[in-house]
Amino acid sequence: MATVSSRIAAPAAEGPTWLERWLTRERLAPLVTGLVILAIWQIGVSATLPDFVARPSGILLAIPSTIASEEFWLDVVRTLGSITEGVAIGSAAGILIGVAMGRVREINWFLTPYIRALYALPLIALVPIVILWVGYQPAARLVIVVISTFLPVAVSTADGTRAIAKDYLDVGQMFGARTHNVWFGIALPAALPFITAGIELGLARGITNAIAVEVLASVNGMGMSVFTKSNELNEDASLVYVLCLAIFAVGVRAAMSRFRRWLTPWYRG
Amino acid sequence: MALHDQSARARGGESLAARVDRFRTINAWWIQIACYVLSILLLIGVWQALGHSFGVLFVPFTDTMGRLWELLESGPLLPALWVSGELYLVILAFDIIIGVTLGLLFARVALVSAAFEPYAYILYATPTISLVPFVSVLLGFEFWPRVLVGVLISIFPVLIGVAEGARSIPRQHLDVAAIFGSNERQLWRDVIIPYVLPFAMSGIKQSVALAMAGTLVAEFFLNPDGIAAVLLQGTTVVDSGWVLAVTVFISAIAVALVGVGELVERYVIRWRRSAVG
Repeated sequence: MATVSSRIAAPAAEGPTWLERWLTRERLAPLVTGLVILAIWQIGVSATLPDFVARPSGILLAIPSTIASEEFWLDVVRTLGSITEGVAIGSAAGILIGVAMGRVREINWFLTPYIRALYALPLIALVPIVILWVGYQPAARLVIVVISTFLPVAVSTADGTRAIAKDYLDVGQMFGARTHNVWFGIALPAALPFITAGIELGLARGITNAIAVEVLASVNGMGMSVFTKSNELNEDASLVYVLCLAIFAVGVRAAMSRFRRWLTPWYRG
Repeated sequence: MALHDQSARARGGESLAARVDRFRTINAWWIQIACYVLSILLLIGVWQALGHSFGVLFVPFTDTMGRLWELLESGPLLPALWVSGELYLVILAFDIIIGVTLGLLFARVALVSAAFEPYAYILYATPTISLVPFVSVLLGFEFWPRVLVGVLISIFPVLIGVAEGARSIPRQHLDVAAIFGSNERQLWRDVIIPYVLPFAMSGIKQSVALAMAGTLVAEFFLNPDGIAAVLLQGTTVVDSGWVLAVTVFISAIAVALVGVGELVERYVIRWRRSAVG
């Protein structure tokens, strides 16, 4: 009996506890900085600025009432729904055009001036003309999200489908692959890592630009509410929205890179 | 197909597909130029043709160019360009100075990177525009809050590029420098800076384009000013010629800036190759 109990007790006495093991320096450092930033923010704002300026405690207290409102969920559905729809349309169009550009040199040359000009242009500069054409409507947001996703997806799909190993094409030819087999059976799967990277970039830009359109075109949604809440001197609620946007953006990125690793396990980039 | 090929060869000629392929290869350069010219002509042609059919919402190419000339010659465009240009250059300068410094710190000082890097990434993912109301409440609407918003939008490519570059310096390079008795200054001059430079340049190239977005966002959302204000002015009076002209103008500047960024990157990489070998 004595040997058994000593065997059980021994590791607990020598090794670190789970808390010590989990709380390494790498994990402790960001926690400490986070707390210090929050403390400086809280104390600095309370001491020097008027009451309506957001502070961590105020944001924390504003979370329940903000999230409980019907308006909040309407905003979430409007903004995230529009982003999802736009990214889906933009990705599909970008993949199609991108494969054509990657496989046919002349199509690539023909479209290069447009793609390069649009790629260099900050898309926020297109918002005024889009507003003029489609009006101060949710459609303006959709159009901008579609363009934001289309460009990186088309460019990265073209890069990916252009650089296929010649062996793949030779094997395809030997088995009598037609053009559409080469495009969608060989080039497209081979370019998957590029395509997912393009969609990831497009998603990030789509989120940012969707918020920009909402504010410039007065379209209801999360971005618009960030600004209206702030104008109503309800800064705490405004920052609850920012917090949700940040969580969404970070979460989407993490999910996309996990999805990419699942979809293309052979590729390490 | 095969039968056709054989008979064609028997006649001493080639199949049509093979001839087309040969033509495409031999004349590749000319076809490329022709494609560029054709695509731009087509854009202008379609724009000109459609321009008359949508009333005030869409004006023909020639009208737009005329409008651009008016705006440049006697209108608000050139003064606005100076305002925006100043903001742009200050934003880009901060991107490079702060981005390179922070990137090197993140890569070479483990504690700094552990403490701040997660927050840098969260800030990078968060749509910066949503932070604008908070910035304006804290700091106002003047020049420096604008610089802050612009830098938040455009600094990350430099920062991440430099950090990744400095992290990937091979151990052997540092060891060799240590064996030959390099002091800190020599280590930086001979190993770290030449190694990190291409990474920094590719980040700076992206920031050159993003700083323009940063400038426009800052001008749109913190009391309209500069080029962004000129754009909005056209939208409020529903003058599509005005808005199109300014949009074309901005995109010409954007293409030029990106071109300059690429040229500088190429030049720096060539310099590095000749300096380091």
